[in-house]
Amino acid sequence: MNALIRLELARALRNRKSLFFSVAYPSILFLLIAGTADSTTKVDGTGLTLPTYMMVSMASFGALTAVLMGNSERIAKERENGWVRQLRLTPLPGRGYVLAKTASAAVVSLPAIVMVFLVAAVGKDVRLDAWQWLALTGAIWAGSLVFAALGVALGYLATGDAVRPITMITYFGLSILGGLWMPTTTFPGWLQDIAEWVPTRAYAALGQAIEQSQAPHAGDIALLAVFFVLFGGGAAWLYRKDTLKA
Amino acid sequence: MTTTAVKTAAPVAGFDRVSKTYGDVRAVDGLTLALHPGETVALLGPNGAGKSTTLDLLLGLKRPDSGTVSVLGTEPREAIVAGRVGAMLQSGGLMEEVTVAELVRLACSLHPRPYPVSDVLARAGVTQIAGRKVDKLSGGQAQRVRFALATAGDSDLIVLDEPTTGMDVTARQAFWATMREQADRGRTVLFATHYLEEADAIADRVLVLHRGRLLADGTAAEIKAKAGARRISFDLDGPVDTDALRTLPSLTRCDVSGQTVRMQSADADATVHALYGLGLYPRNLEVAGLGLEQAFVAITAAEEARPS
Repeated sequence: MNALIRLELARALRNRKSLFFSVAYPSILFLLIAGTADSTTKVDGTGLTLPTYMMVSMASFGALTAVLMGNSERIAKERENGWVRQLRLTPLPGRGYVLAKTASAAVVSLPAIVMVFLVAAVGKDVRLDAWQWLALTGAIWAGSLVFAALGVALGYLATGDAVRPITMITYFGLSILGGLWMPTTTFPGWLQDIAEWVPTRAYAALGQAIEQSQAPHAGDIALLAVFFVLFGGGAAWLYRKDTLKA
Repeated sequence: MTTTAVKTAAPVAGFDRVSKTYGDVRAVDGLTLALHPGETVALLGPNGAGKSTTLDLLLGLKRPDSGTVSVLGTEPREAIVAGRVGAMLQSGGLMEEVTVAELVRLACSLHPRPYPVSDVLARAGVTQIAGRKVDKLSGGQAQRVRFALATAGDSDLIVLDEPTTGMDVTARQAFWATMREQADRGRTVLFATHYLEEADAIADRVLVLHRGRLLADGTAAEIKAKAGARRISFDLDGPVDTDALRTLPSLTRCDVSGQTVRMQSADADATVHALYGLGLYPRNLEVAGLGLEQAFVAITAAEEARPS
């Protein structure tokens, strides 16, 4: 299975277009949003400056892009062109394919996170303690697994033609409603009530709590855990269904 | 090892009263058969005969509604995980955006008893295109890459679904030379094909599948014999009395076009003897065995004519 992970990874690193979108694009977006803000503007109710706040949002967004976008489309396409079927004629254990996809996405999401941190630290003078940088990286990286599971589920849910629009809607919906592009505090009240239950909001909140030198809120962790079970369970169910009919 | 000794060995794969239905269609209908070690077996059948379903069942990609499929004494999926089966399917795709060599290397690392990558590439005839991206291959080249994946390691059973589709004649011949080499090493090879001359030239045993049932099972020669054996053709001078010709003994078929008569007979000697008995003088008389192709058509047509 390691061989498949290595090959998936080599392929991901070779694809410049998708690398740009998952690794460079969030950093560029960060500069666009935080670029004009001076380091004294505070985001309501957080005590964090806009660049500090947006750094976590964009790192989360980058990780989301890396784990959600590529995999859902690839899985749908490879189910359709028969590669998934061909792999089932090899000694690779059934789950190996999904695990390799998830692992290679996780490897790409790490530089996406680190890149936003670098741009924020160098370009916008974001300063945090060493433990905070490490904890942020760990939390955002680990949290991205929730959305990796969602990517796999979408790949098994949709067919080749439908997967892109479905993934796009999910991706933008999660990004915007979760406040990754602008703080949820700028939303009207009713939308804030909805955002409260969106997993990407809880995901970014993990990092923002660390920036405030707090432990992540139990409620956010619980919400993410519930979504992880939901997405993971859905992916496993759809995978099994696909295996039976393939 | 004699043929009898081989046949008494434990079967490499077995179908025991296997059925598989999709909606109203019985794709496979009470199929029972066994593949023996070292055999090269051709699976023939018109489109929709159940070939693909049979292969899917054999490879554990589908489950039978009833009956059991066993491969090397175990479940199909287990045999595959143990690396004892190598397979290429029509419906099997390839990973894109990687090179041929990378893909073959992957197949070798997944196999518990792999062959060296360079050997696998060479045997499948893809050494020259090893550096090429998989998505840039022609149909025939992709087919050879699939073959490389199916033969990446030491497996007991090799299953090939229309392996030479998209290959030109030279590539096809090279392919079968490789395949024969595999069979000579004691592998059991099962292949489905549309090219009947391939089955005739390569298989020790031919299975004819029709509407999910096994119509014939034997050597190519036996299948031909079963189909009504011989083809007779000749020319006649003057008007042809078709009705009189149809009274000839042992005829299974009689076509007249102009002065030329073509017939098939279960007993060519008796037919020709009676032909002279009619007082006719056939010119350019030819008596020949049926090709497998005609035998196949005859067998499936006869089955088609039967009330089902």
